[in-house]
Amino acid sequence: MNVIECAGLVKKFGNVRALDGLDMTVVQGEVHGFLGPNGAGKSTTIRVLLGLLKADGGTVKLFGSDPWHDAVALHRRLAYVPGDVELWPKLTGGEAIDVFARLRGGINRRKRDELCERFDLDPSKKARTYSKGNRQKVALIAALASDVELLLLDEPTAGLDPLMEMVFQQAIREAREAGTTVLLSSHILAEVEALADRISIVRQGRIVESGSLRELRHMTRTTVVVETENSAERLASVPGVHGLHREDGHVRFEVDGDRVDQVMRELSGLGVRSIVAHPPTLEQLLMSHYGDDLTARGATAGVK
Amino acid sequence: MATLTRTRAVSHRSEPAASRTATRQLVRFMLRQDRVKFPAWVGGLGLLVVYIGAALPQLAPQEKDLVSVVPLLEQPVGRMFTGPAYGLDAPTYERFFAGGYALYLFVLAALMNIMLIVRHTRLEEQTGRAELIRANVVGRDAQLTAALIVAGITNLAAALLVTVLAVANEFAVTGSIVLGSATGLTGMAFAGITAVTAQLSESSRAAAGMAGAIAGAAFAVRAVGDMAEVGGSALSWASPFGWASQTAPYVLDRWWPLVLLLALSLVGAYLGFVLQNRRDFGASLISARPGAAEASPALGTPIGLAARLHTGGLLGWGVAILILGAVDGAFANVMLDSAEDLPPAVQEMFGGEQLLARYVAFLATFSGYLTAAYVVFAANVLRSEEGSGRASALLATPTSRFSWAGAHLLVIGVGAIGILLVTGLATGAAVAGSLGDSEPFGDVVASHLNMAPAVLVVLGLCAVLYGWAPGALSAVGWTVVALMVLVGNFAELLDLPQWVRDLSPLSYPAEMPIEEFDVLPLLWLALVAVAAAGVGLAGLRRRQIGVR
Repeated sequence: MNVIECAGLVKKFGNVRALDGLDMTVVQGEVHGFLGPNGAGKSTTIRVLLGLLKADGGTVKLFGSDPWHDAVALHRRLAYVPGDVELWPKLTGGEAIDVFARLRGGINRRKRDELCERFDLDPSKKARTYSKGNRQKVALIAALASDVELLLLDEPTAGLDPLMEMVFQQAIREAREAGTTVLLSSHILAEVEALADRISIVRQGRIVESGSLRELRHMTRTTVVVETENSAERLASVPGVHGLHREDGHVRFEVDGDRVDQVMRELSGLGVRSIVAHPPTLEQLLMSHYGDDLTARGATAGVK
Repeated sequence: MATLTRTRAVSHRSEPAASRTATRQLVRFMLRQDRVKFPAWVGGLGLLVVYIGAALPQLAPQEKDLVSVVPLLEQPVGRMFTGPAYGLDAPTYERFFAGGYALYLFVLAALMNIMLIVRHTRLEEQTGRAELIRANVVGRDAQLTAALIVAGITNLAAALLVTVLAVANEFAVTGSIVLGSATGLTGMAFAGITAVTAQLSESSRAAAGMAGAIAGAAFAVRAVGDMAEVGGSALSWASPFGWASQTAPYVLDRWWPLVLLLALSLVGAYLGFVLQNRRDFGASLISARPGAAEASPALGTPIGLAARLHTGGLLGWGVAILILGAVDGAFANVMLDSAEDLPPAVQEMFGGEQLLARYVAFLATFSGYLTAAYVVFAANVLRSEEGSGRASALLATPTSRFSWAGAHLLVIGVGAIGILLVTGLATGAAVAGSLGDSEPFGDVVASHLNMAPAVLVVLGLCAVLYGWAPGALSAVGWTVVALMVLVGNFAELLDLPQWVRDLSPLSYPAEMPIEEFDVLPLLWLALVAVAAAGVGLAGLRRRQIGVR
């Protein structure tokens, strides 16, 4: 069953097309990574899913209903953590947690206190004295302590320190084990790599890649670094091998996913001394979609 | 050796100025940010001069005709709201203008400067924008210095415009210069006061509130002082507004009270810098205490949360309105006694009993428009909740927009009625106490509550604006309040046309206790208020949240 279904979603702000035909599906029970740089349309998508913004085109379904029309009913089943949490300066963090959780329909008090402990949050401090990270924790605790089917997390760990980042990841794993669906928007690749079952990469308001990490890797190239007795230079002419070059006595090249087997056979005849082969990292995945963008920006920077 | 000496000399020379580095750039930046507010405020002050200059000949076609309206300014209640009433024994247009309206130029100048200083100092700091600025090569005192310079430029422009336009009204040149200078320097005095209050609280709202409370107190002290006798009493001299009024433009043309205003602005600015250097960036001198780790059960509902968020504002405004009302009420006997001094013609117009009734009716209108001001202030909380993203986070829970905004409207409405009730009780007690007669008590309370539906209409209007044109909420809301003040205080004095009077919701209830209680207009007003709230909430349901 699909918890989130977006098809051809369009959202315009004046002349700017913040979402430009976005398609995305999030299946029940999965942690879905929503990756993209700032301004790609992640927050806009989530705000449309919350029914705060009205889509200009395309369809969007949350639990099979229209989030604009059935916002309140749908909100009983989800919790939201914004990327930039603003709290009421005069309320304490503990009060803010309770406000959110009670408006959501109740709170698991034991879990709330346990999460305060784990996230090392002093709930008796006034919100205006909190740092960004602490405000973020308030929203996270309020969301995680509620019994919901879906967590909409918009860059939830911005401002958290690495220790808290680990606590967060653990909490998300527990939520998934309990059957909660999670949409995790982020630009922190390691976080998504560690947590997500499936990933959608968004660029300029459009999904450019979607699938499990494995599927995405399959579509791209494996990097091989090899040291051989005989020269490996001639591999450059094998179909599917790209960017072969020599460095520090090693040869480094990339192989298309479906040509790995053939290249390995070629290699075995060359007397391999050492070999390292690794699937593409998420960085490489992202760079393959944004790389041209970066080069273009680098090239025009001088002209401007 | 030579290099060393020179380096030291350079660093030494730059030392005293370092804390103000980049002031010039900040001044330019602030003026750029104020490119709409600057001309709007200064132009507004100018407009007041032009409008009243044009309206006076309508009111009294010949200068000698002014004699018949002078008692309105000259009697004690008139003096409370206009000033010491200098030179009205031989009224001219210019003297009538200075006697009746100059005070409001001073009050507007004060408000302009309170908002200006808070906007450019504490608000910047609270939002974190100042942190970005300060992290650059910008001195510690640069922001406050620049804000004060911008205030100086704004006040100079206001002083010049008021002077020029007063002269254009064919008012005497010297008096016009005194009037313009008093306006500008009152502004500077409140810029100085706000430079201090901006250091005292972490929130821009509280900083503006404190400065506003000082302005309110200054107005009240002067009101009581001027009420005591024509030309003011010792108490008039305890208020910056009193100093400005005591320049007596077109009558005495005194310069030296202006020195007091200048001194206050300098002392305020100096204290502001001293306090700023004693505190951390972003902090206040009043430190935060820990609070409850868990929310009380009431806080977990939209109404409970809204009540909590509005408590501070409600108490601040409520107490201020109550005190102003009760102080005015306590002067009922002074006012009645002075009636004997009024010209026979005016006495005939009011009559003994009628005079008290008029005063009570005026007190109710006075509390009515002040409560409407609270309503507009409180309705703007909806805007700041949305602008900060807190509304989005709340609306992501199963709280509907209807119950979220409806809870705020309900809390504001109940608060407004509460203010009117409590102020009515306190004012009634004060009037009764001052006259030694308990009979007017009921009239005062009833006339106050009689205003409630009209005040709720203002809330309804705010709801419509918030639902359909949230960007206009603040501007339109405050304009309506200004209109209510204008109609409430000056409908007769300016001989305002009926259609202008009809724009103020306060014109519709029966003018109790002069007129008999009439339930019909109240029902209509209540109906309009509820319908407007409904229209506003419907607008909110169909618009997007958090989009500018």
